[in-house]
Amino acid sequence: MSAETAGPETLGSLSTEPEHQDPNSQQAKEISGKSPMRIALGRLARDKIAVICAIVVLFFIFCAVFAGPISSVFGVSLETPLASERVDGLNKGLPLPEMGPPNGAFTMEHPMGVAPRTGEDNLAYWLYGCRVSLLIATTATIFASVVGVIIGLLAGFLGGAVDKMLSFFIDMFLTVPFLLAALTLAPIINDRFNTADNYGTIQKIALVVVLSIFGWMGTARLIRGEVITLREREFVQAARVMGMPTSRILFKELLPNLAAPIIISVSLMLPTFVALEAGLAFLGIGVTDGVSWGQTILKATNLTFFREYPQYLWQPLLGIVALVLSLNLLGDAVRDALDPKTRR
Amino acid sequence: MFAYVVKRLISGVLVVTLVSMAIFLLFWFGPSSPAQPICDRETSNRCTQTKLALYEKTLGYDNPVYEEYGKYVKGIFVGRTLTIASNDYECGAPCLGVSFRTKQPVKEELVSRIPATFSIAIGGAFLYLLFGVPIGVAAAKRRGTVADKALVSSFLFISSIPYYLFALLTWLYLTITFEVPFFSDTGYFPITEVGPFKWFSGLFLAWVALGIFGCTQYTRFTRGAMVEALSEDYIRTAKAKGLPTRTIVYKHGLRAALVPVVTIFGIDFGTLLAGTIFTERIFEIQGIGWWSLEAVQGRDLPVVQATALFSAVVLIISNLLVDVVYSVLDPRVRLS
Repeated sequence: MSAETAGPETLGSLSTEPEHQDPNSQQAKEISGKSPMRIALGRLARDKIAVICAIVVLFFIFCAVFAGPISSVFGVSLETPLASERVDGLNKGLPLPEMGPPNGAFTMEHPMGVAPRTGEDNLAYWLYGCRVSLLIATTATIFASVVGVIIGLLAGFLGGAVDKMLSFFIDMFLTVPFLLAALTLAPIINDRFNTADNYGTIQKIALVVVLSIFGWMGTARLIRGEVITLREREFVQAARVMGMPTSRILFKELLPNLAAPIIISVSLMLPTFVALEAGLAFLGIGVTDGVSWGQTILKATNLTFFREYPQYLWQPLLGIVALVLSLNLLGDAVRDALDPKTRR
Repeated sequence: MFAYVVKRLISGVLVVTLVSMAIFLLFWFGPSSPAQPICDRETSNRCTQTKLALYEKTLGYDNPVYEEYGKYVKGIFVGRTLTIASNDYECGAPCLGVSFRTKQPVKEELVSRIPATFSIAIGGAFLYLLFGVPIGVAAAKRRGTVADKALVSSFLFISSIPYYLFALLTWLYLTITFEVPFFSDTGYFPITEVGPFKWFSGLFLAWVALGIFGCTQYTRFTRGAMVEALSEDYIRTAKAKGLPTRTIVYKHGLRAALVPVVTIFGIDFGTLLAGTIFTERIFEIQGIGWWSLEAVQGRDLPVVQATALFSAVVLIISNLLVDVVYSVLDPRVRLS
């Protein structure tokens, strides 16, 4: 993915196959320049790994958004009528042979089988797990990015004492490992809200808050560094001389120039948050009251189930691995496309 | 140099103070009542308002928060006596509270958990370097070849998978499904009680999982730093002098390339020492991470509080050491 992408696209759209082109239109094209974002997109579209990863990510987004319709197409739902109709209590709580694996063939009623002991439908849980995962990761990414960008902008642009103080806070938050913070907050949130009716929702909100509180520092640092170099540029000086208010300089002059570092930090954050959400649920401290891939993995690692029914573990596991892997690789490709210097 | 160290020490102490305050406040104002978990536990979930008030009073939750924070800090330095309901518990310095579950001073249990966590951390960190640096050097020497590209992309692939899933699959398949003899019994066995072999075999799989996953980052860093170092002028001079390749790569190149590696190693080692929650949970090693997870499930607030404080302090100290060591290695840092 190196040689062919570093080609002539930076020269505007100089076509490599001039014989197919009508001479007039080619001339028109040659003078039209390309914005940096267009160039980056062009590079991305030629990167095969990036395209494949983008398709995988889009598939997961599709599953998450249309979890409801897809599960009704397959005739499955989160509700389980009676566990004993689906699982064999005498055989370690494994699903009945007519419900699918591990003792029978896959059936149309339950395309991915049913869960042991509870008899929940795996497909429905997988789809809604995907939704929860992406929903939490995306919301947390948005919040953390907004906080990070604002703090980075302020620290970088105002400088002096404000910068010192904000940098101190960035460093302080960086010394607290995220997992530890989540672990510390879990019993507190549990203790305060476990009797509330909407405990599941509160848990999700709390998770988003924790992810945002401990996720903004990377963005803030990156943006601060960028802003410090941009601050002294002529267009900012010009805006100052013209008497533009600081907030307007920050958001109208500086922010558009920060698109690349913001996209880069989002591309780093999103897979981390997807992995963390499932990881916390696996530890039993994230979403414990509701659907989550991590929780399914926790149930599936019960050794009796794992020995007899490893497919139950593999379904959510492959979901997480595929999603995180493609988000990571896509993020890498985006970073390369935006900054050709990082290319190895 | 001295001034720099003092400056970093002061900011380190400041951060520790702020973090301890944050943790204390969190446990004070966070739960609906900080005494609720112990009241539920002691009364088998029949905690009435009067009982709750009794627990709150004896634990000091009816006093102003700053007063109790003062007592807490004083307890860390000189110890204190804690009262829960009608029983007194002696808690020697450094007093981190009394566990709601076992009624033992938290400090003693914390100390007993440290060997397990430190064992994982030392072994894992050793493997980070053992795998990471040589592979990175080898890749940098063969830069641009098929082997290099294959290595870089396969390591990118491994590091893109969430660590806990990698560790979980390693454990489930090697220990449970295939029952590989040497790996079949993971856990922490004190070296003094069962001998070094059992200790080693219990931790080996956890080390390998940590090492393989963590070394990807080191390979990337070492490779990048080596590629840069090997293109420097002094390397060309060394080549022109006719020095053997070995000397050029290892003595002149690697020495310069190792400075950034040492920095991330220090930070990573600190993170490992502060508790490897996923590793301990998956490989059933009863260290600090496992203990804090247990405490979370048992609503044992003093233990959670103590582990949070312990980990934060370990991390802050290791960051401080890294900064100081880095300023020794690279004089430009302390001058800026």
